[in-house]
Amino acid sequence: MREFNPRPVPKAPQEGVILFTVAGFKLAIAAGAVKEIRGLEGLNAFTLGGISERVEKLRYTLERGGTTYFVVDASRHFRLASSSPGRVLVLRNSSTAILVDSTDRMTDISTLLALPRAFQGDERTWYRGLAIVNDEVIPVVNPGAFLSKGEQEVLRAGLEGLQGAAVV
Amino acid sequence: MSAAREKAYVLFPMGEKRFALPSDVVTELARPDHLQTFPHSTPLLAGVLVRRGRIVPVYDVAQLLVGPAAPPRKFYLIANRQIDSRNEWTAIPVTGECELINLPPGESGLEQDQETQDHDRPEYVVGFVNAGDVTVPVVDLQKLISMEAR
Repeated sequence: MREFNPRPVPKAPQEGVILFTVAGFKLAIAAGAVKEIRGLEGLNAFTLGGISERVEKLRYTLERGGTTYFVVDASRHFRLASSSPGRVLVLRNSSTAILVDSTDRMTDISTLLALPRAFQGDERTWYRGLAIVNDEVIPVVNPGAFLSKGEQEVLRAGLEGLQGAAVV
Repeated sequence: MSAAREKAYVLFPMGEKRFALPSDVVTELARPDHLQTFPHSTPLLAGVLVRRGRIVPVYDVAQLLVGPAAPPRKFYLIANRQIDSRNEWTAIPVTGECELINLPPGESGLEQDQETQDHDRPEYVVGFVNAGDVTVPVVDLQKLISMEAR
């Protein structure tokens, strides 16, 4: 008699995410997209005439290892009521950092559900999809949406212009 | 909408008023559930429900149907809605239990040309159905939601 040898069920690929909160909402970001989680120390208020108004969600810059990061206030990005920022998520492969209220924990998700098509606004850019963690629906943010490439170029050019002017 | 071919309607209460949806677009009437919200910018969307493993967007259409004085919503009527040529479940909070009315074969029950009712009829009302001695407006959910999005 042949021994019953059940075929192992292939495990769904898992993705590590970091849970964080902004103005009372819980959101998630791919752990691989975050280079560093830090406090508010070292933030420099961002004021660049003409540009600050164009990128209103940009609050600060942060110098780390010779790189200038543009720190986006997540509550402004998501058009939420004012929040109480306490942590900065420095993004990997980007010159963007995100100002959030707090970070919660890391967890693994196995399924990223598409955002229902009923959602027709900017959230289609903001989120990669939705995850269900302990029966809670949590949007998984798109790291590239906090500052578009165009916005980064404008900021970079403005900053370089300012530094050039300071040197002269 | 193919309402002229419908034989059954689901009547749902919204405060003092009642409205109808063709039964073939209705999936279920769900008990009060945990409405979950997250940041978004789509008008009318109140949040999402998780039903049978699906994430169901919740459209609070009470303001459009009965104005700001809508009483608290108690149940969710879940209906199929076509968006970008795909069907998607949509939940509508309603204020009480729903009623299914079946009409005899050959009788649509849908009355399109009642002059008094057609006067100032909102675009989303595609006809009226007689339920006992009451005439109930039949709502095209797609039109209702699209109107607000415009």
